[in-house]
Amino acid sequence: MRVSSRQSRRVFLQRTALGTAGALLSPAIARAQPKSLTMMHESSFVPPYDAFFKNKLAAAYEKLTGIKVNYDVVSVGSLLTRVTTAAENSSGPDMTAIGFNWAFLFDDKFLDVSDIAAEIGKESGGWYDSAQESVVVNGKWKAIPFGNIGQLMNWRTDWFKQAGYDKFPDTWDELLEAGIKLKKAGHPFGFELGHGFGDNHGWLYPLLWSYGGREVEADGKTIVIDSDETARAIDFCRKFFKETMFEDVLGWTDVNNNKAFLSEQISCTNNAESILWSAKKDFPDMAKVIDQSENPKGPKGRFHMLNPLCHSIFTHTKDQKAAKDFLRWLMAPPQAGAWYDVAVTYYQPFLHAYDDAPMWKVEPRNLPYRDALKTAHLPGWPAPLSRAQSESVAKFVVVDMFAKACAGKSTKDVIADAQAQLKQIYKQA
Amino acid sequence: MTAVFAPAEVRRRPAFSLGRWLEREGVFSWLMVALPVAFLVLMVGYPFFYGIWLSLQDRPVAKPGVFIGLANFVNDWHDPVFRQVVVNTFVYTIAATLLKMVGGLGLALVMNQDFRFKNLTRALLLLPFIVPTVLSTIAWQWILDPAFSVINWALKVADIADPGPSWLGNPHLAMFSLIMVNTWRGLPFYAITLLAGLQTISPELYEAATIDGAGRWTRFRYVTLPLLKPVIFIVTMFSVIFTFSDFQLIYVLTRGGPANATHVFATYAFDVAMGAGQFGQGASIALSMVPPLALIILAMAIYMRSEKS
Repeated sequence: MRVSSRQSRRVFLQRTALGTAGALLSPAIARAQPKSLTMMHESSFVPPYDAFFKNKLAAAYEKLTGIKVNYDVVSVGSLLTRVTTAAENSSGPDMTAIGFNWAFLFDDKFLDVSDIAAEIGKESGGWYDSAQESVVVNGKWKAIPFGNIGQLMNWRTDWFKQAGYDKFPDTWDELLEAGIKLKKAGHPFGFELGHGFGDNHGWLYPLLWSYGGREVEADGKTIVIDSDETARAIDFCRKFFKETMFEDVLGWTDVNNNKAFLSEQISCTNNAESILWSAKKDFPDMAKVIDQSENPKGPKGRFHMLNPLCHSIFTHTKDQKAAKDFLRWLMAPPQAGAWYDVAVTYYQPFLHAYDDAPMWKVEPRNLPYRDALKTAHLPGWPAPLSRAQSESVAKFVVVDMFAKACAGKSTKDVIADAQAQLKQIYKQA
Repeated sequence: MTAVFAPAEVRRRPAFSLGRWLEREGVFSWLMVALPVAFLVLMVGYPFFYGIWLSLQDRPVAKPGVFIGLANFVNDWHDPVFRQVVVNTFVYTIAATLLKMVGGLGLALVMNQDFRFKNLTRALLLLPFIVPTVLSTIAWQWILDPAFSVINWALKVADIADPGPSWLGNPHLAMFSLIMVNTWRGLPFYAITLLAGLQTISPELYEAATIDGAGRWTRFRYVTLPLLKPVIFIVTMFSVIFTFSDFQLIYVLTRGGPANATHVFATYAFDVAMGAGQFGQGASIALSMVPPLALIILAMAIYMRSEKS
């Protein structure tokens, strides 16, 4: 009702304006398009990526349509707070970058973009299945996936070679073996077990899954954390921690593993492409002996963390069509392709048309990030998107389950803790 | 001045004068407090009551809330992490406040002496308090990183330990480190305020006490301490409030890790409200700070009063 009354008012105003303008001035006033759109993004680890939008993409779109596109950069870690503020107040930017399950959290506040998602998919070789895991809510696309910021094993080829490994170990058990040798040689591993944003979840969820452990069943209700599979994953993790790492990793946040790796204190960690990226820039000699590999296999397979960057349109935007038109234009190969290129695979496309894009040849060591998309899932998998899933992540249920075990608590106790927390989070008595 | 004209005005009914009306004590006093009251109502009162309202609802982000009474608080009570948060917050507040109190008093006593560069030293003393917490905390991040820590380096050079303790990785040490950093930051506030208090104590009292044969300790115990008590009380109250609701320092250094060993009310409330998008639950955690804080302050006030009488 509100929309129709607003529309009729707009029509009335337009007509009045047209009439008056036509009578008095020139006829050139009929454009009902907005003059500008604003896109909000978290400051990228790859500075040229942000600059490319501001300087190239926005300028090109303004030239094409006359609409100015502002690029509003917020500091790392503050995007969720900003999206929350915009959604709660129904004001602020027209479009925003989102991640994880935010498409679900802000379902009411984001526009259904299924139509352009279908067009984009058709145009660019189809979507990866994992793309849909985070953006499709009740059958509707609430965001357009842009790229995954994958987490993989980052390791030192020279030290692994000294320990007798030419290739990265294929299973967790083999990695443990390698780690024991490397720690003895003075090159321990360093995997985050503290309260960071990503590098902790990035390997602990895949570890849990690869042993067959899950938080919740696919029904989103049945809590199954208390299983032999979970127990085995925890026992492995405790051993892995004790025999390949050092105590400090328990307190690490996301900066620490980068710092430790680049200062040559650790020989292996789980991270996004940022370590190799920084090394190439600041430590070119070290960069030559860094490689990146898919996560090791567990008894129940190989898994990775899904960490998607997607774009959503707020329902409060003044002209929904203009925003959709822009996103549609943005994701067409000339634009999206160029934007991916600037970041050289830091954002791994969810579209199959880019599977063999030239950017993968720029740095072949990044290729495993592409392959990892096939086995990547969000925390909480295989349950569907939910608020409980966010709460479990924000409360570090899985991370702390492993961390407590590494700090010395018994497997039984840490599972009981996690089970109690999950029961409360998933609202079960 | 108005009194001169008063007799003339008695005859006629006095015309309304805004100036005179404003000068009436009842009006003027209210005018003076109106602005601060309005400010408090808007900036403190509204969020506070909105917080209470939120805490009584199941209010996920971007969704309308549903009134659920005290269910959020009941949930908190059954949440093992919440219990740990309560213990952590008390340990953190009590330890840091005591350290700041003793250290601050000592520092103030030293600063109260006459020595060269007295003013410069006093100014420098304020530095930890002036530097934005986030910046100084990042410096601490390096100091507490075993690989780069000056402390661990010193331990290594002195052949005591290699690689030395993990300041933020060990649950107990992490809490200890945070208490130390908090003390470092809050000490100047204590010291400077107590110093101001010390300077109001008349030197004659010390002279009189000295003549009566009081030694250093006796003068401190029976002259300085009793006269300084009101100031100590006020600073401690402030310090308890700030320490109890501390956020920045912990959020930058550990974000509540390892395994919740350093999670306090403010950090946990933030994670639940903003990270998990559960505004109601988050508000209930934040509001749980109020009763213990009020009790502490009340107990301190009662103690002070009984001391006075």
